[in-house]
Amino acid sequence: MWDYSDKVKDHFLHPRNARVIEDANAVGDVGSIICGDALRLMLKIDPTTEVIEDAAFQTYGCGSAIASSSALTEMLKGKSLKEAEKITNQEIVDYLGGLPPEKMHCSVMGREALDAAIANYHGKSYENSHDDGELVCHCFGVGINKIKKAVWENHLTTVEEVTNYTKAGGGCGSCRMRIEEIIDEVWVDLEKCGVPRPGHVPTPIPSLNVAAAPAGFNSITPVSSIKKDEMSKPEDSPVYNEVMAVLSEVNSGLSEGSSITLKSLKGAHLEVVFAGSIKDGMMKEMTLGFLKQKLTAATGREFTVTVI
Amino acid sequence: MSAENNNEYGIYLDNNATTRIAPEVVEAMLPYFKEYYGNASSQHGYGVPVEKAIIHAREQVADFIGAEYPDEIIFTSCATESDNTALWSALWSQPQKNRIVTTPVEHPAIMSTCDFLSSRGAEIAYVKIGQDGRIDEEDFKNKLTPNTALCSIMWANNETGNIYPVERLSALCRERGIMFHTDAVQAVAKLPISVKDTGINMLSFSGHKIHAPKGIGVLYVRRGTRFIPFMKGGHQERGRRAGTENVPYIVGLGMACELAKKHLSEINTRVKALRDRLENGIISSIPHCFVTGDKEHRTANTLNVAFKFVEGEAILLMLNEYGIAASSGSACSSDSLEPSHVMRAMQVPFSAAHGTIRFSLSRYTKDEDIDKTLEVLPGIISTLRSMSPYWKEGKPVITGLDHEFDADSKEVRA
Repeated sequence: MWDYSDKVKDHFLHPRNARVIEDANAVGDVGSIICGDALRLMLKIDPTTEVIEDAAFQTYGCGSAIASSSALTEMLKGKSLKEAEKITNQEIVDYLGGLPPEKMHCSVMGREALDAAIANYHGKSYENSHDDGELVCHCFGVGINKIKKAVWENHLTTVEEVTNYTKAGGGCGSCRMRIEEIIDEVWVDLEKCGVPRPGHVPTPIPSLNVAAAPAGFNSITPVSSIKKDEMSKPEDSPVYNEVMAVLSEVNSGLSEGSSITLKSLKGAHLEVVFAGSIKDGMMKEMTLGFLKQKLTAATGREFTVTVI
Repeated sequence: MSAENNNEYGIYLDNNATTRIAPEVVEAMLPYFKEYYGNASSQHGYGVPVEKAIIHAREQVADFIGAEYPDEIIFTSCATESDNTALWSALWSQPQKNRIVTTPVEHPAIMSTCDFLSSRGAEIAYVKIGQDGRIDEEDFKNKLTPNTALCSIMWANNETGNIYPVERLSALCRERGIMFHTDAVQAVAKLPISVKDTGINMLSFSGHKIHAPKGIGVLYVRRGTRFIPFMKGGHQERGRRAGTENVPYIVGLGMACELAKKHLSEINTRVKALRDRLENGIISSIPHCFVTGDKEHRTANTLNVAFKFVEGEAILLMLNEYGIAASSGSACSSDSLEPSHVMRAMQVPFSAAHGTIRFSLSRYTKDEDIDKTLEVLPGIISTLRSMSPYWKEGKPVITGLDHEFDADSKEVRA
């Protein structure tokens, strides 16, 4: 028996909006009986305001598939189309108070049905409005783009997690090697955006200069959008407080007479002055490495540090 | 948890998974936890009563399965160990032969071991299975080649309850001088078994399916069968299974066998009637469902029904709310994403395999349990169907749809 949260059980036993909207003007169909779950999402959207007035579903599937569908319809009602487009599968999971890892694909199916319904509203078919890309998993018919999206949005690191989210690799297993490659490809891009890959030695990309956002960031501010004068003063950096906290922590651990002082902080680039026994040699390299590690841990970003 | 969900009052219809331990069995075991803790191999007074208890249990087990001699019974830790032992021993003791004949509906204890042995050079031949799960006996005969070391065919299937004609099959093997093993986990306590009158060389079963605890199993090895132990070490079990005897569990198993023999006719009369009432009740009150497996050759306690348009795990969760425990061959109720290998081997379409529910009864199943199940199940199925996009009866149809869900897909993924 799966260990479902009370919210999942509630939405399964008392599903909200499990009905047919006969005059729905946005219908999204995903899944199939062969794969073991299928969802039809029906929306009634006001064409002038583009507000979702009503949402309902029909689902064939396990408890968590029904609960995810029910949660999604509750989340959608009253939202504008623009707001609805931003809903992620993780938000469905959070709404339900979590799903067992093996059941994450139910939330992904909900998100896909929403995409399909929106495409249908715009007069397009889901198949034509998005590109599956290369077919990776033949057993469950999963394309490369769905896998990439799941890895990108949920920071997945293992084939097992990809199977939990997309079902890809859950049949004969012959595509597992390919999924591993795809995970690596996506993580190269994620790391470029400053997301540290758990359990991996981060690949240093020294030429990159991305403005750092606070830990737990959602979107990345492009460098070009930051004004020149903002970059000149370290105090203006959004991660200034975190960086200073790291510096004082590292300083307190240094031997008598040694210290690190901040010279400048521009985006993800740090200039510091080393004094005392850490000024050169092996101690310098070790302190530098330690400092970088601490900065990444505190801010979730990859920093380049120059000693001047 | 409500009172209905409590074990005492719950409706347990999952006896092919495991069974309630009989109170008499617990009583029989207790002294061997408290007073008689000696080692059966010891030469002093502590060992004597323990050794006697094991001798008695061995006689009870031998009597239960109709073995000619008690010394043909080897106590193991579980049926999986018994199955592994049988397969390995057959290959080790006949180095000139390397082929195993089996079926694609065996328990994973056989399937996975065969996969492993096959990766180490053994040749595994799978006998053809029909859509009702019946074995193709002509194909079986053709697969018996001179280099066949062992045939391993289950006596009864855990999911469908299908009974395989092992008496006939083992006789065919005996004529050809081929060793025969059967996994009888789901057959013992449900069918009258007299192993001495068959061509069976080895037979496995476990305690926890017949109201003894988990952690005890049996491997019957007919006298004269070549045998090499799987577990090596001390001289226990006459040198055929090393390791200090699990005395309380052996005593418990002996008692469970004695009780099972006593209740065998009850299974095939009262329990069978309950199963048939459940089956007829479901078929007559719920549209679009069918029984899987071989209806004429089934264990009396097992019923496997496929409900179309609904998914098995959802049914189980709702049954659980009424304190009813059953199991499903659907993908979602297991760790795998695929439906059970038994349903796939029987070529049940995926569209139906995802909605299979197994009800397995025991001698503790009461009339009221079946009443309650029949009372709530039609409502559960119709609730879930009303939510399903595949269910169209009496349903309004949305206009302008460019997609239809195909509930009758015959597709079976490779």
